Amino acid sequence: MDFITHILAFNSESPLLFTQFYFWAFFALVFSLFALIMSGKSADGKSRLHLRNVYLLFVSWFFYYKTSGLFLLILAFVTLSDWIIAKNLSPALPSREGGKASPRSKRDFSLLTLSVVIDLGLLAYFKYAYFFTNMVNDLFGTGFQVFDIFAYIGNGFAEAGRFSVDTIVLPVGISFYIFQVISYTADVYRGRIQPVKNILDFGFYVSFFPQLVAGPIVRAEEFIPQLYKPYRLSRRVFGVAVFWILNGLAKKIIMSDYLAVNLIDRVFDNPLLFSGFENLFALFAYSLQVYADFSGYTDIAIGVAMLMGFYLPMNFNSPYKSQSPQEFWRRWHMSLGRWLKTYLYIPLGGNRKIGFGTYFWLSLIAFVSAALTGWWWQILVPFGVFMTGVFVWDKWISQKASVERRKLLYANLNSFITQVLGGLWHGASWNFIIWGGINGIGMIVEKIWRGMNWHVRMVCISLLCGGLWLAVYYTNLPAWRLFAVWTSIIWVGTTVRYVYHLCKGSDNRITNGLSTAWAVIQTFTFITFTRLFFRSSSNLDPATANEVAWATAKNMVNQIGGAWSNAIIPDFLWEYRWVVAMFVAGMVIHWLPTNWKRRYRLAFSAMPLWLMVIAVCIAIVVIYQFVTADMQPFIYFQF
Amino acid sequence: MRPYRVLLFIASVMACLAALCVVLPGRISFGSHDLRWPTLAEVLTSPQPSPQGRESYDTDSIENTDSTDSTENIESTEVRDTIASPVIPKVSVDSVTDSRMFLAAFYASLAESSERVVRVVHYGDSQIEEDRMSQQIREKLQALYGGKGVGLVPLAQTIPTLSVRQELRMNGRFTAPAQGPRRYLVYGPKHDQRTDGLYGVMGQVAVMNDSLVKGSEEITAIVTPLIPTARYSHWRVFADTSVHYTFAGDTVQLSGRGAVYGLSQQSETGVIVDNIPMRGCLGLVFEKIDSAQLSTFYRRENVKLIIMQYGGNAIPFNKNPGTISGIVKGLRDQVRYLQACAPEASILFIGPSDMLTQEEGEWTTYPMVPYMDRLLRKMALEENIAYFSLYRWMGGAGSMLKWQEIGLAGSDGVHFTRAGARKAGNAVVEWILSPTY
Repeated sequence: MDFITHILAFNSESPLLFTQFYFWAFFALVFSLFALIMSGKSADGKSRLHLRNVYLLFVSWFFYYKTSGLFLLILAFVTLSDWIIAKNLSPALPSREGGKASPRSKRDFSLLTLSVVIDLGLLAYFKYAYFFTNMVNDLFGTGFQVFDIFAYIGNGFAEAGRFSVDTIVLPVGISFYIFQVISYTADVYRGRIQPVKNILDFGFYVSFFPQLVAGPIVRAEEFIPQLYKPYRLSRRVFGVAVFWILNGLAKKIIMSDYLAVNLIDRVFDNPLLFSGFENLFALFAYSLQVYADFSGYTDIAIGVAMLMGFYLPMNFNSPYKSQSPQEFWRRWHMSLGRWLKTYLYIPLGGNRKIGFGTYFWLSLIAFVSAALTGWWWQILVPFGVFMTGVFVWDKWISQKASVERRKLLYANLNSFITQVLGGLWHGASWNFIIWGGINGIGMIVEKIWRGMNWHVRMVCISLLCGGLWLAVYYTNLPAWRLFAVWTSIIWVGTTVRYVYHLCKGSDNRITNGLSTAWAVIQTFTFITFTRLFFRSSSNLDPATANEVAWATAKNMVNQIGGAWSNAIIPDFLWEYRWVVAMFVAGMVIHWLPTNWKRRYRLAFSAMPLWLMVIAVCIAIVVIYQFVTADMQPFIYFQF
Repeated sequence: MRPYRVLLFIASVMACLAALCVVLPGRISFGSHDLRWPTLAEVLTSPQPSPQGRESYDTDSIENTDSTDSTENIESTEVRDTIASPVIPKVSVDSVTDSRMFLAAFYASLAESSERVVRVVHYGDSQIEEDRMSQQIREKLQALYGGKGVGLVPLAQTIPTLSVRQELRMNGRFTAPAQGPRRYLVYGPKHDQRTDGLYGVMGQVAVMNDSLVKGSEEITAIVTPLIPTARYSHWRVFADTSVHYTFAGDTVQLSGRGAVYGLSQQSETGVIVDNIPMRGCLGLVFEKIDSAQLSTFYRRENVKLIIMQYGGNAIPFNKNPGTISGIVKGLRDQVRYLQACAPEASILFIGPSDMLTQEEGEWTTYPMVPYMDRLLRKMALEENIAYFSLYRWMGGAGSMLKWQEIGLAGSDGVHFTRAGARKAGNAVVEWILSPTY
């Protein structure tokens, strides 16, 4: 009875998570009825498919209720509002291949604007209320507090004080499903898809439970056609689905949770307790953890959806194999990347132009940065000079420049804005914006670097390196030392390649391999250091997020740059051997060639079913050992 | 594949796993490793959101009060896992019937704080790093009894604190503390220890111009209090006579060759509280410190209260009650040693906080925490020193989980966050002072 109650009732402390037995019990029950609906001769009939969609819609709503309680109403509201708005858009001819969409009326544009305002308004309210309130308070010295209007209204219906009005709780998955409904209305507006006639079908698209909480962000044009297709699951695809589920569970529990509990969390919580080496190791381990956590979750989502005959887009493509920050963003959280490209980067002008949007967002970013740091003239004067230069160049000089040069400037400016706003999507904290900004700058620098000839590269890196060591000499600040060491490593690599280039060495398999490894390691290192700001902001009370996050990042940099200790490295590697082994194993698996991975995935999927049952059971038993593993006790290496 | 075949597959996997639940006895040992698998009852029981003991935990005791149990009976060593009363009693010193009666010497000394310094030395493990807890004790005592300054800091501060910003320059160049003068730590690894026991009152010493090769280095320490009210322009430098120093404002210039045991920016009257954290330390190191050095410091600096806060580092590595009791016996020896070195000072022992580990994937209190707390309390009462049970004040077993949830403890289940340390520090000082109100 207790078990049944636990399955049915909402409990904020125990949501349905993919990594818990209760989710799988829930899924088994859901699939039983699903199998019943999809059995029989008329299983592929229209009415049966409709019944399946309605059934899965209510299952998804139940899943969301279990996770978020009454926030289900918000999900239902955005579903209804975007369905109505899209339905009221006048019918549009589909856009020509590669050409412009058919022109839209002002009424349609107003409807689209209304939809975006409602959706982003809700997102801003729930996700950014603290952020905006703190920003206003910091800027104007006010003392505003957040007030939950929905809780206030709710108290009008329920008994007084049922909901707290002093805090705004973030509904689970709101960032994902808001982006999905925006993509739907925008695609209908652009004529890429026709509006969905049945609201229940549309509701199913928005709420499909495997991807509701953590993505992938599914675009309407990818998913809605699947609603009307009969159930098809080949034996091979079934095997692949099971593989994705196991793969996701292993990533989440073995790689992510084990590393987090036994090392990463404790270091990030209290960096000063650990030496520079331990901090650096934890930072790299966090890079693996965040990938394993997120991609593990989406692997499970993809596998579960596949079992029900639905195909979700790939979300991660071995991102740490990337050879540049730009490539990284094409491999990491791909569904978000595609969304931002389609609905933000391209509307801003992409690599074709810069317009009002570009100037507006850049100015806003500069203004807010100046206001919050207090560095008014240090930021606004150079920014003003730069933007004036860009404006003059764009209006009067750019016609004389090459197309490539124009494209480079436009793409860099628009992609920088996309990265900063993409950072803000991840969390309402300055650290996420800094994180986005660093990524944007990294992409720009890397593109410029690639465009340089070898002599210029060598001069630039030498000057940078020398400058940083001078800064170390005069200030001895840990941050400078850290950058100086890293830049020196890049300088060594660049020098080797420069000398090879001067000697007119030819490219061959070995040099190409070394060059790839070098680029992958540099990109991985860069991405890892941006994580300093990403991790620091996670799981914090919004009211204190900025302060704590900044202190954590600063302390970690200070430890890495100022309290490094070679002597403790052997002791650390031995005492934390299981953590280190997990990290190494995770990275080795990650870096395996794609073909190898495909081969073992297919080999698994081709197993006889009875063998697959045994393999799954063994895998679950192994994974369970990590769930229940004894904790790595605290060991201090530095005193 | 038809859906019913998929269902059959899912059912087969679940049946096999359920069969394992029946067949396996929960855990099978292979040498030092266990193979674990839950029983059916464990799987089907609704997971509890709290670890053991949490049911008896009173949330209000954390969220609404900074005070602590004041009703402990010095005759009783029985452990209670709940807080009996969160109300600070208004009693006079004479009527104290709990272990605070052993703080009488300290209470009496507070009367002379307007004429001279009354010093409190707070030793502890990583729980008090960054001046955590000590800061609240200092602020409260200085607010009531006067005094300024943040007390002792080492010459090279390897762990930044919340109270001061400290910089080190060697021959004018900024230097990372780890690259500063040679440090010896009584609680450090062997290669950082010295044989003569001359560690000074902080248990750590920095030796200037330790190496003959290095020649003569001049050291500048800049210690800037981060709390403006704590600033005081007078310095005490505890060093060998061969070390010469001058000071101005927040800056101390040192030259010569010899040991520097600590710097203290402090007023000439009022209460001074020293924060002396010893990372990873069990607290069994005091006997290694030269007794003459300790006695001299305690006497000259008018140390009237020594706070020892240890025990936490024994918990994760020891599952055997015998080992714990051996450690407590060792701590008893340290208490006696300090009593001998500072016969006029009161001693307060603060036991370990609640500490969590993971068992079978669930956070739970280390089994040895209540045991150690009980033994420490018994030891304290037998040695005539005061005892504050952090563990019981927090709410007993599982309370650390609640602290984590409300942001008072870190995710390691061991250390307080700054907010948590503030809460605990306030509780300790209120507990100490409440009889004097």
